Amino acid sequence: MVTTGTYYDGISSIPQKVALILDEDNYLLSFNSSSGNTDQWGIGDISFNHIGNYLEIQFGHAPIEFIKIEDGDFITALKKLRKEKGHYNWYERLIDLGIKAHATIALLILGFISLIYLFVIPLVAENAVVLIPESYDNNLGNTFFNEYIEYNAVDSSKTKALNLFAKQLKLNNSKELKFTVIKSSTVNAFALPDGNIVIFTGLIDLMEDKNELVGLIGHEVTHVNQRHSMKMMCRNLSGYLFLSAVLSDVNGIMAIIGDNVHTLQSLTYSRQFERQADMEGIEIMVSNKVNPKGMSKLFERLQTQDDHLLPEFLSSHPITEERINYIKQIVKENANKELENDKLKDLFLQIKTNIN
Amino acid sequence: MEDFTNESSKNYKLSFHGSGSSYFGVIIVNWLLIVVTLGLYYPWAKAKQLHYLYGSTALNEERFSFHGTGKEMFKGFIKAVIIFAAIYGLLLLFMYLQMPIIGILVFYACILAIIPFAIHGSYRYRMSRTSWRGIRFGYRGDQKELSISFFKWTFFTIISFGLYSSWLSINLRNYLIGNIRLGSLQFKSDGDGGSYFWLNVKGYFLTLFTLGIYMFWWQKDIFAYYIDNLSVHQDDKEIRMTSTATGGDFFGLLVVNMLIIIFTLGIGYAWVVTRTMDFIVSKIELTGDIDLDTINQTEANFTDATGEDVSDVLDLGFIN
Repeated sequence: MVTTGTYYDGISSIPQKVALILDEDNYLLSFNSSSGNTDQWGIGDISFNHIGNYLEIQFGHAPIEFIKIEDGDFITALKKLRKEKGHYNWYERLIDLGIKAHATIALLILGFISLIYLFVIPLVAENAVVLIPESYDNNLGNTFFNEYIEYNAVDSSKTKALNLFAKQLKLNNSKELKFTVIKSSTVNAFALPDGNIVIFTGLIDLMEDKNELVGLIGHEVTHVNQRHSMKMMCRNLSGYLFLSAVLSDVNGIMAIIGDNVHTLQSLTYSRQFERQADMEGIEIMVSNKVNPKGMSKLFERLQTQDDHLLPEFLSSHPITEERINYIKQIVKENANKELENDKLKDLFLQIKTNIN
Repeated sequence: MEDFTNESSKNYKLSFHGSGSSYFGVIIVNWLLIVVTLGLYYPWAKAKQLHYLYGSTALNEERFSFHGTGKEMFKGFIKAVIIFAAIYGLLLLFMYLQMPIIGILVFYACILAIIPFAIHGSYRYRMSRTSWRGIRFGYRGDQKELSISFFKWTFFTIISFGLYSSWLSINLRNYLIGNIRLGSLQFKSDGDGGSYFWLNVKGYFLTLFTLGIYMFWWQKDIFAYYIDNLSVHQDDKEIRMTSTATGGDFFGLLVVNMLIIIFTLGIGYAWVVTRTMDFIVSKIELTGDIDLDTINQTEANFTDATGEDVSDVLDLGFIN
């Protein structure tokens, strides 16, 4: 087979048109250079560079001689011959698959990345939390608490009563819990990883029964017991690192899209944790012989608040119909005999009472 | 007798022959191999990408070629990793010694110090691995001279609260481009920081007043400023470059690029790159009297890709 190629000797910039002969039997490419000599290149020693439907072949090192070929039939014949000789490498095969196969590969990789991101990373990250010493949780929570307290007014008598109230309960806690009541009309409560639990008077004013308070405590204590803050941090960080690592290899734009997907995803994480806190909170109520209905009551009260101002701690995980429904379901399954507990009742009254 | 023999080699035209779908193949195969090798394939992937983009660009229908290999870049990659590990090690050492402030200062000083090395190394490597018609490009800048100038300009930029950055970028550009060779051809850039500064002041305020619409015209001005100041010389002959892009052209390019990215969730990136390359190349006009058949090989080979890889880590974007 014969075609015309453009030959460069690697010394001058002058193009030379050459008649290029493909010698299939001897696996050679031969051509006549301007000096009149016949050059022969062993095809196995040539390096091939396909760019679309254009081929550039290089031979030698110093100088690098090369020939450019644009004849499609010749390129195909050369390809076929190299395939027969086993010189067609895996990279060229992958590139030759065509756009449909490439698009499929892209989707498969994306699917694979999603699977790892959704199932493997959170699992690994949560289990890795065991490796982080509890002292880290304590430092983190403590630092935050001290700064927070500085700018907020503590109700000391209610705080004292609340701590006594909590002492009456079995809370399955592994670390010491410390309760604080903050004077604020905000309907809010939160738990810090070091066992500090903060409740606002705005939320206490809303409650009408001690069972509701036990429900709230059960919920917040579960966040501490399960190290939810730390798990959240590990999940978020590892998910973020994973996505940006695999996507920025493709391009910066996909990395940005990945970031946004991740932000949405972390909201789902926090919903999962809220659900777990609801469930175990109810278990705590049951084990303390308190009517678990208090939990659903509390959430119904909070739901009516939604219209006015969305409480901070609910904004990322609002009280939806769905949440109320599954809580009611679990409450029904766990209905137990309520044991009257005068001490709790008493303390609850103290917590509710406003001294000034 | 005058030399009329080679008139055709005195007309110049740049063109781009790549297509989105074939570049997409290159990118996706790279991605697959990077994922499978847990990232180790990165240097090879980069080499393949450059092969494709350079090899699709042509001057007078003659393609450029990139000869760099994944192996060279991998060696550079390893050296870059060692350099960065050492810098971070130093930072941790100071942290351990309870001197965080000194540690951070040393850290940033090191990062700043390696930038000119990275630029120098990257230019030397890339240029020497690029050729046209078998003639190698080359970069003849001096490491020491570049470093001293770079620190001087950076210092001025800092004490002028960033105002000097226009001069920094144009001076740097003039130096780098002025040291590029294509065999016996010599490149030159005659930009001046002052006019570039005013161009940006004007662009900034008009963009503000027009609620962003002027941005495309600002882009056009920057592009034109870069291109119109570029020229190539051989003895007393030269080729000058002129931008023919209009603000409207930039509007079309950038808006469509953005739409492609949004509607394909980033997968259409390959088409964005090939469209942009095609745009740039077709908006540069070349005129002059250099006979392209008379270029001789003058530049040596240089295969150390450390600078290239350090630049990669620092995410320094250069004119390719």
